[in-house]
Amino acid sequence: MKIFIQTIAYGVLVGAMYGLVTLGLGLLMGVMKFLNVAHGTFIVLGGYISYWLFALYGVNPYLSIPLVVIVMFLIGLIFYKLTLSPLLKLPSIGSRIDSSMLITFGVIYVVDNLMTIFWKPDVRTIVASFTGKSIQICGTKFSVTGLYGFAVAVIVAVVLYFILGRTSFGKRVRAATQDAEAAGLCGINVHRTYFISSGIAIALAGVAGVIVVSSYSINANGGLSWLLVAFVVMILAGEGNINAIVPAGLILGLLESIGVFIVGAPYRQAVALVIFIIILMFRPQGLFSKRGHTNR
Amino acid sequence: MINTKRTIVLAAITLLFVVLPLFVELGSSSMNILILLFVYIVLSQSWNLLGGYTGQINLGLAAFFGCSVLVTHLLWKSGMPICFAILAGSFSSVVLAGIIGLPTLRLRGVYFAIGTIALAEALRIIMGNVFPTSLSLPGTYASSFNVYPRYYLALGIAVFTVIVIERLVKSKFGLGIVCVRDDEEAAQVTGINTFKIKFVAFLMSAFLAGLAGGAYSFNRFYFHHISAVFEPLWTFQPLMAVVIGGSGTIAGPVIGSFFLVVLSELFAQNLGEAHLIIFGILFVLVVLFSPSGLVGWERGLRKVVGGLPMKHER
Amino acid sequence: MLEVIDINAFYGDIQALWNISLVIHGGEIVTFIGSNGAGKSTIMKTIAGLVKLKGGNIVFEGIRLDRLPAHRIVELGISMVPEGRRLFPEMTVLENLEVGASTKAASRLRYSTVNWIHELFPILEERSKQVAGTLSGGEQQMLAIGRALMARPKLLLIDEMSLGLSPIVVERILQVIQDVNRQKKLTIVLVEQDVGIALSAANRGYIVENGRIVEEGDIQALQSNARITEAYLGVSQREKTV
Repeated sequence: MKIFIQTIAYGVLVGAMYGLVTLGLGLLMGVMKFLNVAHGTFIVLGGYISYWLFALYGVNPYLSIPLVVIVMFLIGLIFYKLTLSPLLKLPSIGSRIDSSMLITFGVIYVVDNLMTIFWKPDVRTIVASFTGKSIQICGTKFSVTGLYGFAVAVIVAVVLYFILGRTSFGKRVRAATQDAEAAGLCGINVHRTYFISSGIAIALAGVAGVIVVSSYSINANGGLSWLLVAFVVMILAGEGNINAIVPAGLILGLLESIGVFIVGAPYRQAVALVIFIIILMFRPQGLFSKRGHTNR
Repeated sequence: MINTKRTIVLAAITLLFVVLPLFVELGSSSMNILILLFVYIVLSQSWNLLGGYTGQINLGLAAFFGCSVLVTHLLWKSGMPICFAILAGSFSSVVLAGIIGLPTLRLRGVYFAIGTIALAEALRIIMGNVFPTSLSLPGTYASSFNVYPRYYLALGIAVFTVIVIERLVKSKFGLGIVCVRDDEEAAQVTGINTFKIKFVAFLMSAFLAGLAGGAYSFNRFYFHHISAVFEPLWTFQPLMAVVIGGSGTIAGPVIGSFFLVVLSELFAQNLGEAHLIIFGILFVLVVLFSPSGLVGWERGLRKVVGGLPMKHER
Repeated sequence: MLEVIDINAFYGDIQALWNISLVIHGGEIVTFIGSNGAGKSTIMKTIAGLVKLKGGNIVFEGIRLDRLPAHRIVELGISMVPEGRRLFPEMTVLENLEVGASTKAASRLRYSTVNWIHELFPILEERSKQVAGTLSGGEQQMLAIGRALMARPKLLLIDEMSLGLSPIVVERILQVIQDVNRQKKLTIVLVEQDVGIALSAANRGYIVENGRIVEEGDIQALQSNARITEAYLGVSQREKTV
């Protein structure tokens, strides 16, 4: 029984991180219908920034988050201007998604290899005073990095919720998401809204990277595996459902953890795979979506 | 109707490759590069069949390639003649495609892409666990190694693939898949069973990828980690070749593969990883400014290469 | 106030408007009449910046509109209630109104403008927290008009307001529109398929057929115009919808 509770605890911490990892991808997809397959690459990039701040200047990774946010936000703006905004001229949503997939795929090649050249393909991780430690709450062990990750994920999710739900900017984003043309008729500069949203999305990826590098590790080519996690969580949450992302991540974390508990650790990927296939087959619109079966 | 100009060009190029090793002393490394080129041609045609013509972006091609490489290797090792082993390997890819295709093809484009890459990655990891040690052929095979049959087999498979794609694309089936690509809903309304068409195209694409895998496997003795042939690289490189060369055409994948393989070799010596960055930038530029790839660019200059109409913006 | 000079408009490669020229004067209510697909909505969309024109130009209070994006045109003082209302379905009534005042100038006055809209359409105040997608047709139309008014426009374009609404609701909305026109001197352009409605509310009108303007004139002139009575009023049997 105790082991089971431990499993749940572990699943919750991992799940929160999964949710955090997905926020940036979900935002871009929900708002602009762009699929950024370079999302994992940006997570790794954010992780590197934090890593170097720690390795060179001893900065606590969690304190580096504000700086990572700023830098990644600017990178996101550049990324949008260079690769995504030209796609807005395309007529239909379908071709926009496909083209964004292709273009960001090219971005992976460029950025991943730039990182490999500059920083070598070695695996990097942050080893600090809190690494590997855990604390006991009510007889259950929680890893310190996991708790930090959980806290960051929750804070970021709540902040995002408030930005989107309560601020004028957030309302403009939601309007542009629901009907871009009508938003223009309300005086909303939709392109500028997209511009800033892209910055936010990449900044979110950066924050996720900080948590990844301090709880696990990163390497220049490791973006793909995090991208896949984000894909699964995004599908679970349902398209465009940004507020459902962290809950969906939690569910994935729990399911994975319980699955591993049942079949054993070496089959972790197989468990995730089975979960994924089941979702794809029976509820591809996600667990939280109001709409029916999405099919083209 | 046979496009005579294109047939002549194809025949001439084939003849060139057939005759080349007989008259020029190519070292084994050059032969290997050419074999890799032929493998890439088949892989990119395979991806293009689904991606450029049917409009389904399959990010999990590596799964079909790897599956065939593995099966071909195991069967051949156990004594089956290579040709049958390759066919069996290709067939195993088709079976895999059947399993993967059923849940994923019903999904919208994005989710199809996501689903395929997730499944391919999962397969790679599983294979890594199931075959953690290296795989190699017994010594008897090594002693009788001769690169020429491998070269010609790979060449033959490449030519076969190009011809098959051409026939396919000109057939009624080819018309069907282009309809699905251009507007799936409209196609459904005219009575085309779009799921069946996508599924068949998926299976064919897997078969071709399997052939590529078989040809590749024939040329390898030793696999340090078999999971390496399931790596996403085997999806992404052909994808690059197709987009740069020109998707939705017959010549595009061939041109793109030439470009990719030859330039890779040239640059890799001097620039190392940077050459991949150059490809990445080139790729992005092509997508932004010349979506019909090199073929489209060339088409503006001369009308030698042909094919079905360029992939329109949907 | 607004001058449209010899414009041609295209949807992609297909031409929709040929050499359209018209004038709107401040304070009036002008209507475009015509059958389905005649091009009336296209004229509106071109003015609002949703459809790009090739050739000719549109001048609003001395400023050329033809190169401007939609949101800039709103800033200049033109607001459109689009065909089909195009509300933000997952946002509440209040949020839809708030977002209507997204320009700098309008956002400063947002609070008082919302109060004004609530006076015009009290039902919107009642339904403030309700999600827009769940409103009835009439309420949605009121919200759409309210949202457009939030931008404090000088010129309001209303595209096919009566579609799918019952005559009573249409009557009410028209009343509000006419009051606003009178009291605030708000210039209004009305595109209507229902000629009866158009003629009852407007001062002046243009008849659009096949992408061209074929007639124009004061309401009295149009009412007795043979073309209209034969072609439009004859077939205009309004069914009760909603």
